[in-house]
Amino acid sequence: MRLVASGAQNPMSGLDDNARFRSIVMPYIDDAYRLAHWLTGNRTDAEDVVQDASLRAFRAIREFAGGSARSWLLSIVRNTAYSWLRKNRPTAVVTVEDLEAVELENAKPGDPNGETPEAALIAKVDTEQLHAAIAALPTPFRETLVLRDIEGLDYREIAEATEVPIGTVMSRLARARRRLIATIK
Amino acid sequence: MTLSKSDDNSVLLVHAYVDAQLDPANALGITQQMGIVPALAAEAERIKALQQLIHERLPREAAPPGLRARIETSIGGLRQDRARPSWRALAASIALTAMVISTATWLAVGSQQPTMVADSLVSDHIRALMAPEPVDVVSADRHTVKPWFNGRIPNSPRVVDLAKENFPLIGGRVDVVGRTPVSTLVYRHAKHLISLTAVPSESRFELEGRRNINGYNVVHWVENGVSYWAISDLEAKELENFAQLFRTSQTEL
Repeated sequence: MRLVASGAQNPMSGLDDNARFRSIVMPYIDDAYRLAHWLTGNRTDAEDVVQDASLRAFRAIREFAGGSARSWLLSIVRNTAYSWLRKNRPTAVVTVEDLEAVELENAKPGDPNGETPEAALIAKVDTEQLHAAIAALPTPFRETLVLRDIEGLDYREIAEATEVPIGTVMSRLARARRRLIATIK
Repeated sequence: MTLSKSDDNSVLLVHAYVDAQLDPANALGITQQMGIVPALAAEAERIKALQQLIHERLPREAAPPGLRARIETSIGGLRQDRARPSWRALAASIALTAMVISTATWLAVGSQQPTMVADSLVSDHIRALMAPEPVDVVSADRHTVKPWFNGRIPNSPRVVDLAKENFPLIGGRVDVVGRTPVSTLVYRHAKHLISLTAVPSESRFELEGRRNINGYNVVHWVENGVSYWAISDLEAKELENFAQLFRTSQTEL
């Protein structure tokens, strides 16, 4: 009865669900799709996830309390994608506990004082290699990297979307990038 | 040269610096450190190179062209704005429903725990009654309604024609139970609407029978691995009659 109950508190807002959905959710369908694509690994599943997430967003539209609409939608997309993965590909989901054991040390790139210019090496990587390397990152690393380096969210937005503190976003991002660089070089 | 554990924090700050996420004081602090510690400066260079690479090699893909339209359709009502009744009329009907519901919710919660599925479907039914159209696809023809669900939900529902029994088909819509989109057929009897939702049986809601939630009658049965929920403000007997007709009807697409 949540829908009707919240309508009772604020009947005017009850009339506006479609309009709210249009202004809060619809502008970020591309972002939602890209995140779903990176999380599920293919386009068909990404579409299903986004469609499912949109329905969930619509039903929860009155719970959106302001702030970044994009983060809000992306957190729903992310949760929907994980439900989907748990159901369809249980082995693909890496829990956070597995990751906290991974030290920054483990993902350390090569000797930073080496004479080979690393930036030049990185620049030579081809698209396929890069794509595969990102796809191979454990999901919490991958989502953080994708939200930052592909989607361009700021740290606070990533923290909201992935429901972790900013400190965790920072360490995941650093680990993700180091792993990625170590893989592609 | 390796970074000590205590330098980890500096590494994170370098990333945040490259990402322009630091306030001026912290930004200044880490720039000074990068001037002293080559490993930190090298880290910054790697990050920039990686970002440049990602920017060049991985263009941001737009959602497929049909996706937005499908979302709008599944949301239902988004495309029906033109038929929207006046705010005042809607506000009045919502206020009235809210009054009725808030009283009834007390009773329902106090007496027994209705399943979440039934609750959620009653909400959907009420929402549909308040919407300009209670359905996303308007058709009395089951040959139109059934295929409409293809591609919107995994299993398209059994649709039967009960017009001769005075339960004409109005159309269908997609509701959501938990996170699963499900098919709801809408039939009419006199001036009452009936929402009939088919939920895949894995949901394990096996308690068949009749109940009343917030003033709405709910008849529930399981058939061929599908859990059916009929919801209406019809009298319970008539709703059960409808359920019986639907169950026994052989006219399947």
